[in-house]
Formats: sequence, structure tokens, C-alpha cells
Amino acid sequence: MAVAAALLSLIPFVYLLLRVFGAGFEGFIELALATRTLELIVSSLLLAISVSLSAMLIGTFQAWIAVRSNLPGRKVFGVLAALPLAIPSYVAAYSWVAVIPGFSGFFAAWLLLTVGTAPLVYISVSAALARFDSAPEEVASSLGAGKFAVLRKVTWPNIKGATLSGGLLSALYVLSDFGAVSIVRYDTFTRAIYNAYRASFDRNLAATLALILVAVTVLVLVVESRSKGRKPIGTVIANRLNRIDLRIWKLPLVALLTGIASVSLVVPLASLTRWSIVGLPDTDWQEISEALFSSIYLSVSGGMITALLAVAIALVVVRFKTRLGFVLERSVWLTHATPGIVVALSLVFFSNQVAPWIYQTLILVLIAYVALFLPNALSAISIPLSQSPTSLDEVSASLGLTKLQTLRRVVLPIAGPGIFAATTLVILTVLKELPATLLLRPTGVETLATRLWTETGVAAFSTAAPYALLLVVLAGIPAWLLNRAIRKDLEPINGLERV
Amino acid sequence: MNKKNSWLAPLSLALAGTLTLGACASPAPTDSTESITIYSGRSEELISDLLTTFTEETGIEVEVRYGDSAELAAQILEEGKNIRADVYFGQDAGALGALAKEGVTKTLPPDITDLVATEYKSMNGQWVGVSGRGRVFVYDPAKVSRLPTSYKDLMDPSWKGRIGIAPTNASFQAFTTAIRVLEGEQAAIDFLNAMRENGVLFEKNSIIMQAVQDGVVYAGLVNHYYWWELAAEIGEENMKPEIAWFKDGDTGNLINVAGVAVLSDNPSANVFAKWLLGDTAQKYFVERTREYSLTGIPEVAGLKPLKDIKAPAIDLSNLDSLAETLELIRKAGLL
Repeated sequence: MAVAAALLSLIPFVYLLLRVFGAGFEGFIELALATRTLELIVSSLLLAISVSLSAMLIGTFQAWIAVRSNLPGRKVFGVLAALPLAIPSYVAAYSWVAVIPGFSGFFAAWLLLTVGTAPLVYISVSAALARFDSAPEEVASSLGAGKFAVLRKVTWPNIKGATLSGGLLSALYVLSDFGAVSIVRYDTFTRAIYNAYRASFDRNLAATLALILVAVTVLVLVVESRSKGRKPIGTVIANRLNRIDLRIWKLPLVALLTGIASVSLVVPLASLTRWSIVGLPDTDWQEISEALFSSIYLSVSGGMITALLAVAIALVVVRFKTRLGFVLERSVWLTHATPGIVVALSLVFFSNQVAPWIYQTLILVLIAYVALFLPNALSAISIPLSQSPTSLDEVSASLGLTKLQTLRRVVLPIAGPGIFAATTLVILTVLKELPATLLLRPTGVETLATRLWTETGVAAFSTAAPYALLLVVLAGIPAWLLNRAIRKDLEPINGLERV
Repeated sequence: MNKKNSWLAPLSLALAGTLTLGACASPAPTDSTESITIYSGRSEELISDLLTTFTEETGIEVEVRYGDSAELAAQILEEGKNIRADVYFGQDAGALGALAKEGVTKTLPPDITDLVATEYKSMNGQWVGVSGRGRVFVYDPAKVSRLPTSYKDLMDPSWKGRIGIAPTNASFQAFTTAIRVLEGEQAAIDFLNAMRENGVLFEKNSIIMQAVQDGVVYAGLVNHYYWWELAAEIGEENMKPEIAWFKDGDTGNLINVAGVAVLSDNPSANVFAKWLLGDTAQKYFVERTREYSLTGIPEVAGLKPLKDIKAPAIDLSNLDSLAETLELIRKAGLL
């Protein structure tokens, strides 16, 4: 099952190779060395790096405040830190442009994508902080280390891995994003790929650009795995967790966090609400409810199937440390930064070659979701699964349980929260997905995202806004659940604190 | 206690449900002559009523996939030997030309192509335009006293910050391609550089209209029907912008078309193509979408008749090479 899942996610890559080398190798080399390509690499990487750095800074800071400080309202700020995940980047961009008509360029793209992807870092770091026992920190301070020294030498090494993997998700998201960068007119690879289809109808050019983008992705992955280095092994569940007194910093920090929330949530939501009120009289409720149903149906089944396959891969990778496992785990990342349109077209091509009967059915749509979002699920599952110590397996074996029973009764319960997080994360992402859904859906099926696309295509923003608002509210549910799952991890600790 | 089963049950249910639904939704290729599948780059809002009328009049059922013109064209090409669409209904001549170039279109019989003048169809009968859209100059008469006679007049520094354009929009790009093809690359570069200085950039034509109405800019370059779109929203009597054309033969007067190509041997596909050029459909384009009829149905009141417009002489099939144009637009810093 794990192998099959990994193979699915490699389809786009194989497709790109076929397209590019079908057109001849010289063309590829020529284009790869063109100045324009170089410019795109620089502009894409510049955006990806600066966004992921600022997202790591903001997300880690928010997580630390929510989990480890005594700031008043930290729970609220925690929810506010996760909620921007519910806003698709194209919706955020539209709503900003509706407020500030000239909103464009590098700064605009950086701002939108930073607040849009910081929640990925926030979630991953919060989970790590919640699992990390603060005893070593206390030992360090009792030995005379200052607060910053403790942060730097004890806390940071323990959350570094989580910060970096959140940053990686952020960087890869930036590389594959089309909505935000096209609306604020910042040139990246993905935008050039879409333009290759839209303007010159040139599939080979688009494929060549996409293949170069895959190469850039590999580069990012290599750099990331190098910089991770050896990470200290965290404890399974924290026993103690002290909160740091922020004293006079409370007020400025509340102001800062409120500022971040205004940029990431208040502006888009206010803009959407305003336009929704304008557009409400013309709203077709039957259309909305049908779209709502399809969105829920597709995202829930997509989330569950993807999470199931991610568990399979994670088990192979983490529990049975084989070479095959490593290759599988890395290979699913290969196409993660590939734009949705390329993934969708590769599946159009493959299904028509191999299994025409699944083309334009929900099966193919779900396959696309697996190919696109397996890495998201995998990143949420791997860490909790690796934290269930293998010694427990041995104990359970010594008590006469079979491997399958051990898996069911020992490993999966420990990894339960991770699986839950993975499922909700994919549900959330599928809800927002547009290009693959648009191209692969069965004829006549409309989701909130495709309706939103249709409406913005013809009429004023006001007709589209109710769909956008509903989509954001709906996606808010898994975003909120995701945040609550992290808080649940904290509950036993908070209980201890009171004792 | 049994934590696992709590999420396993809904999962298996979802899986089973998916497979069943998936099987039901499996598209039957339209082998029946009484039904056709259309891939439409034109939006549902604008043409779904038209398609309903088609079914009522001919008894031919229609299944439609709506999408972006160019992405649907790419999808058709990736379908390879299993093309599901009988008809492709595209927003502009460029996408139709691209499909014809790849050899997936069927030659239309002369009883269809003869209905339309030479400049609005493919040279060798691979696609045919069904409705026309004019490139126009919209302006606020309270602010613009002397009308430009050519799009080139807008390059004058006096227009700085006053003219609205939408460079990411296909209609602006087709217009720039026309300049490139008819007047040479340098003319296009000069125009774009001047627009970088003078132009105010918008995402879409409809937003330019609103900006002229609100006094944000003095004037804009848009397709003609956007005037009526705004008028429908706020009432014709409240419209500040007016429409003007440039001098005869000016490239600024480009007429582009939306059109169809037939992709299968299903005879109903040709019936549909021909029906689109019949009176019912042509009247619909004139009255509902405010486009130009290509078969001589009179224009909506207040719109300059198609026969009086001296458009630039360009083969619309040449609009399929937008790549060079995009490169120029990007170099000028407008994309």
C-alpha cells in the first residue's frame, strides 16, 4: 500500500519527463540555461526563502507564547494563529486588493504568504513544545544560565526540527502557489507555468519549466535535511511545563499579536463580509448548498484516504527503518511544489492512457488529492509515530501479541493525535484546492472553490464573496480542530501545573 | 476504549461511498447522436440559458464542462485518443487556433463556415467564430475633452496616471499581439513602455469600467460589452463612461471572436455549431451578452454597428502565438 501510494505521487514527475524529453533534450537545456529561467529561479527562491524565514519567526513566536508564556488571552491568540489556514491564498489576495487597489509586487506577495503559511509553523512547533519536558530548562537555569541562554541552548535545539519542517512546508507552498502571486503580480515559476498554458498553449514549455521547478524543490529538500542535522530525541509526553512570566512585555506582545491577527484575519474577513452583504440578495441557495455538500464530501474522503496512506508510508519509514522506506518518504516530496495544474494534467494524460474508465470520476479526483497532499499528512504523522518507543513493541510482543495486534493496540493509539491532525490538515487543504478539482471533477460537480472561481471569472467580487466566506467558515472547522488537538496534548500538563 | 474503530468506521463508509458514487458518475462517452459534450471556456452564467434553449429546440441533450479556455484546451490535448468533448467553445480565437494547430479539430462543412465572413473564422474550416467583441476606448466625458484618434495618442505624457489597462487579461494581450503582428515588435515595445508610464493597472476589464465610473482614472481600454455589464448593474442612466472608437483601421479597433471547434464525428456537434449561427443564438448574443452577431443580426441600440467599424486587417489565427507578446509585456514590467 505504501509503495502504491508513493507511486501515485510520482505520476506527475514521470509525466513531466515524458513531455519534456518527448520534445527533445536540446530544447530543455536551452530553456534551462535561459536568462529568463534564471530570473525566475532567483525570484521564486527569494520569495520562498524570505517567506519561510518570516513564517518560521512568527509561527515559532506564536507557538511559544501560546504554550509557554503566561500572556493573558494566550488561548485566544493560539486559535487566531491557526485560523489563517482556513483562508485560501487567492481569497486573501483578492480581499486585500479590494481594500488597497494598488497592492502588488514582492512585498505584497511576501506579506500574504507569510501570514498564510505561518500557521503551518505554529502548528508544528506547538506540538513539539507541548511534548517537550521543561525539566532540562529548569536544570539549566538552576546552573546559572540566563533566560536567553536557556532559550538558545535548551529550548531551541528541541524545537528546531519542528520549526524547520514547518518552514519547509511554507517554502514549498510558496513555490507552488499560483493564486496569491498572480493577483499581486509577482513573477514566480508557478505563475510562468500557468502563463505557458494560458498564453501560448504550450504544454512542453510548461512541462520544462515545471521540471526545473522540481529540481529547485529537490535543492530545497536537500538543504533542509542538511540543516536539520541530528535532532535531540524528545520525550514522549511532557511531565512538567512551566510558563515563563512575561512581566512588562505583556502589553507590547499583545499589541504585536493583535497586529499579526489583523493582517492575517481581520482584513480578509472584513472585506469578505462587506462584499457578501452586497452580494447576498443575488445568492442562489440551491447552488450554494450543492457546492457545500460536494466540498464536504470530497474533502472528508480525500482527507481520510490520504491520511490512511500516510500512516502506511510512515509505518514503513519509521517503524521498519529500511532503505526502501527512506526512498518512499523522500519521493512523495518530489512533486509537492509542482503546481496543481501540472498534477491535474498529468492525471488526465495517465488515466486516458491506462484506465480511461476512471477519468472524470471522483476516483481520479481523490488520486490527485493523494498525490498533492501526501507530504502534508506525512509530516503530521511521522513525528508522533516515531515517538512511540520500540521498547513498547517488544513488551507487547513478550506478552504474546502478534505484530498486527501490537500495531492496533499500542502504536496506533499513541499516534492517534498525529493521524487526527493529518486527516484534518488534508481536509482543510482539499477544501481550498482549486486547479486539480476544476480539471478532474466529474462533469457537473461543483465545489465551493470551483463556484468561487466561476463567479470571480464573470461578475463582480460581490457575487463571489458569499462562496468565499462560506469556504473560509467551513475550513475554519478543521483549522480550529487542529488547534484544539494541540491544546489537548497540553491538558494533562496544565492539570499538573495546578497541583 | 476502542479508539481506532471510532475513526475506522466513517473511513470505510467514505471509501465505499466514494467507489459507488465514482462508478455511477463514470462519464459515458457520448456515442448517442442525441447528446453532446461541450467543453466551454465561456462561463456558465453567460451561456447556460442558451444551451437550455438549444436542447428545447433540437431535443439534443447537452453535457457541459466549464473551465478556463486555455486550461480546457490543454486538457483536450492531454486526453489524446480519448477526447471526451464533441465541441470546444472558446473565449478567443487564440485558443481555437491552438487546437487546430495540434490537429484535433474536425473540418467544418461549408454550410456552417459559409455563414460567417472570412475574417472571423479559420482559413481552412477548423473553427468558426460565433460572436464578436470590439476593443474600445471608454472615457468620462467630463474629464476627456479631446478624444484620441489612435491608441498611440495614449502614449502621450499628458495621459500619465489617467488610462486604465488590464495587462494580465487575455483581451489586452490579444490587442498587444495585434500591434506586434501588424506594426512590428518595436511598435509593441514602445506602446508597452508608454503604458508603464501612463497606465493604471487593473486585474480585469470590469474593474476598469468601475474605476472610470468612480473617477479613479479618466479612461480605459476594454472590450465593448463591459459597458453594458456595468449598465445592467447600476442602470444606464447612471453611467458616466462613454464608448469611443479610434480612427478607421487603427489597431486599437481590434475585433476578436468567441467561437467553436468540433472535435468528434458525432453529427449532433455540427448541428450545435450551425445552431449557434442561427437566429435564436445570434439574437441571444446580441441581447444577453451584448456581443456582435456575426451573421448580421442588428446590434443592441447605442452600439456602433459592426459593419461601420473599420477594424485592423488581421488574421485572427495569428493570435495563437501569445508567447512573444507575453515576453514583451513582462519585460515592460506590466505583467
